Amino acid sequence: MDESALKKILDDIEVPPVDENAQKRAVNLAVAEFKARQNEKSQKSAQGTSFLSRLIGRSTPERGRNEMKMSKGFVFGGMGTALAVILVASLNMNSEQTIQQSMMPLASEVSAPPGTAEASPAYVAAVEEKNEEALDKALRTGDSAIPVPIEAPTDRLQLPEQQIAGAEQPSGSGGKNNFSDIAQNVTESRSSISGLMDMFGGRGDVDAQESEADDGMAVAQLKKDQSVLGRVEAEKAKESLARKAMMNAPEAPAASSPGEAGKGMVSSSETSVIYPEPYPYPQPVPVSPPDYYARPYYQEQGRDRFPQYTPNSFKVAQEEPVSTFSSDVDTASYSFVRRELNAGRLPPAQSVRVEEMVNYFHYNYPVPESKEEPFQPTVTIVDSPWTAGRKLMHIGIKGYEITGEKPHSNLVFLLDVSGSMDSPDKLPLLKNSMKLLLDSLQSDDTVSIVVYSGAAGTVLPPTKVSERSTIYNALDNLQAGGSTAGGAGIELAYNLAQQNFNKEAVNRVILATDGDFNVGITDRDQLKNYVAKKRETGIFLSVLGFGQGNYNDDLMQALAQNGNGVAAYIDSLSEARKVLLDEASSTLFPIAKDVKFQIEFNTAQIAEYRLIGYETRHLNREDFNNDKVDAGDMGAGHTVTAIYEFVPVGSASARTVDDLRYAQKLEEKPAIEESASDSPFANEYAFLKIRYKLPNESTSHLITRPVTMQDQVALQKIECGPADSCPASASDDTRFATAVAAFGQILRGEVNIVDYKLDDVIALAQDGKGADEFGYRAEFINLVRLAKAFENR
Amino acid sequence: MPDAQDTELIKRAQAGDPAAFEALVNDSYGIMFKMAFKWCGDRTAAEDITQEACIKLARGIGSFRHDSAFTSWLYRLVINTAKDWFKSQNRHPASDMDQAANIKAEESAPDDKILMQQVWAQIQILPDGEKEALLLVVGEGLSHKEAAQILEVKESTVSWRIHEARKKLESLFGKEKKYG
Repeated sequence: MDESALKKILDDIEVPPVDENAQKRAVNLAVAEFKARQNEKSQKSAQGTSFLSRLIGRSTPERGRNEMKMSKGFVFGGMGTALAVILVASLNMNSEQTIQQSMMPLASEVSAPPGTAEASPAYVAAVEEKNEEALDKALRTGDSAIPVPIEAPTDRLQLPEQQIAGAEQPSGSGGKNNFSDIAQNVTESRSSISGLMDMFGGRGDVDAQESEADDGMAVAQLKKDQSVLGRVEAEKAKESLARKAMMNAPEAPAASSPGEAGKGMVSSSETSVIYPEPYPYPQPVPVSPPDYYARPYYQEQGRDRFPQYTPNSFKVAQEEPVSTFSSDVDTASYSFVRRELNAGRLPPAQSVRVEEMVNYFHYNYPVPESKEEPFQPTVTIVDSPWTAGRKLMHIGIKGYEITGEKPHSNLVFLLDVSGSMDSPDKLPLLKNSMKLLLDSLQSDDTVSIVVYSGAAGTVLPPTKVSERSTIYNALDNLQAGGSTAGGAGIELAYNLAQQNFNKEAVNRVILATDGDFNVGITDRDQLKNYVAKKRETGIFLSVLGFGQGNYNDDLMQALAQNGNGVAAYIDSLSEARKVLLDEASSTLFPIAKDVKFQIEFNTAQIAEYRLIGYETRHLNREDFNNDKVDAGDMGAGHTVTAIYEFVPVGSASARTVDDLRYAQKLEEKPAIEESASDSPFANEYAFLKIRYKLPNESTSHLITRPVTMQDQVALQKIECGPADSCPASASDDTRFATAVAAFGQILRGEVNIVDYKLDDVIALAQDGKGADEFGYRAEFINLVRLAKAFENR
Repeated sequence: MPDAQDTELIKRAQAGDPAAFEALVNDSYGIMFKMAFKWCGDRTAAEDITQEACIKLARGIGSFRHDSAFTSWLYRLVINTAKDWFKSQNRHPASDMDQAANIKAEESAPDDKILMQQVWAQIQILPDGEKEALLLVVGEGLSHKEAAQILEVKESTVSWRIHEARKKLESLFGKEKKYG
């Protein structure tokens, strides 16, 4: 490593361009400090400026966090105070002095209490000068004229939130959940101020008790805050009056407050401008507090991307007797649909992939006993509940379940920490999800963390799971900001996985993102190829999707498919639990790869058929035997269900197309009597073939099974006396899967199911609910109920 | 920034002329930011550090004695501010997020890029003394003597630290063809 090489590296580091606003801010602060110094060299005047720089300067989340570390147990106190300050400062109430005191511990670096050191006249002049410029500019541009000597209002908008983010750190994990709940409530409710105050008043009480044993100072602090809250409560009436006055006559507050404003020099929220003297302006423009909660975190809408496809339509068996598709164990679509419905929206049709909805649930198909033949197919034929005369063919397989010793894992978490992840349902959820995943690993598995935003970097070198606190620390330190260089991150992550490659273990990169890659390898195909190439070296990729509004489902799916992995969408901690804990072995340990299905329909029995779902998994007929063609993979215990709807020969009314005039007519062809009755296949509907490779093999194995009349059962549960006299009826699983498939098709607005209503879906799902250990099926039924709100629109 | 004009500005600023000081800070901001970014590799942190350094500059401009280049003096100011800043943040630049910088991607193959990122990340976690010597001498092209003046250590110390730093990097990355 000689000097010229090193120099090249150092020279090649691209320093980002100077941010004009940051520069202006720094220069303004420096000049203010400079003026203060020049004129008051003998006095301790600089304190005011360091305040200024700390409070309105770029207060980074880290800084907030750092300060909050000091004040363990201040969480609610701090928040209450922040709210109170917003309220009161904006109203210039005379309680400002109290708030002053309560803010003290937050500004941990302050060396003297605010108000004790008067700002020097020169300093005041400097601030005034800057403020005047700002006002002039505002008058010219028509912007609001908040007298602050900095440029973009974003810093001020963020401040309360940053405190919130900071506050999260020091509290225990129990408190954390609570807290984020509250934070979410706050951010979402956008309710009236008094509503907010009530809420925090209440929560503050609880917390005060909890933390009493904790920290004497904290208690004192909380009590102070409580008193502030109390005062605020008591003065609510006044407030509203004052606010009205403010709206009507902007001069009023300025005129009434000079003395107070002079004393209460510094406060902490966005109104935390230093007003060393009475307002320099006759008409400060009031900013109403709820605005700060209007856009409290990164939000985006309507930029979710989904793969485009059209639902499969009926095919005439004589023209196309063979249907081929790849397995799909992804569940992302169901979670996304659930999220949208819970939010009171109808999910976009393109986001609904029926097979992913069906496969979200577990079905108790018989499990094979050996790893060598990892699954055996189960086939059930029932009458189609939504169209008389048609039938449904369920094909289900369940992967071999790993018992005994689990394989080891070498996992690299590739985490998106770009600015768009800065939202309660993204980065915080991601961190907690990752912690859940750790619980399902063995203590000598290794985990490393790579993050990417504007650039990519290793946050945690390969670390044994037993060193949990190290991993937790690395996770806790993550924060969102910057652009999204996912491409560079992927390279770094694979590199790390390669370094630590263990032939005996499962080597996997787990990508967690809201789906944007706008820097680095941005070309989709290039990324896919990269992932596919790495798959060959034995490193797989799984994708966990987060958030909504900017979710790139399309790319996530493509990446997971090329990386032999699962794409799951995490919309809540309980979903994280399902994917990463309850189904960890499915998510982590592959038992078969390139699983392909091919069904040949017996044209003597079946006139038309369509595959429900799997549109994005379609394979060509010749791909089935070609081991070079990639297909879906299965993890331990995964279930895959595919449903065909078909029209048997002879049920003319259920057909979608007429027979061709010049071809041999199906109805006239005596299917049973003449050719088929002697045929050995007379009893068969179709012939099922499944190809798969074991994880470390490159040639495929074949499983075959004829689908016969004996597979046909009644869909409905049949209650009757002695079991052997009953006609065979379908399992709960079949009923439930049918209900889910129906729901998915209804959400997509498919024509084949227009007569089937959501109430029918609910009834069928209730019938097939079975034991429902984890409550997933009950949740599904609730979702269908939610969807009913849209049924008649 | 021609030196004569620079000196003039500094003198006026030292005499208490706010306009001169403002011009000086504006002129210097870019250099300071660049230095700060190379130190920490993180944009936000670099902006914070630079801002803090600007304020320090306002307090300390009087103590600049024209016996060295102003830029050298600025380097010292920024490096000290950066060290203090990280101390106050209670973290090391690399421990949080060694944002391997945005290496120019176009001209180098992916492998080179990864290597460069790794080298850069390793530089980030060198001990402060070695890192600052390396950034000044290799990064900014100063002589060992100039760097020694800025860092207020003996020239031989600078040479030793650079030697140490290179040895470490060499042991980590070997004598790659491309880089040595």
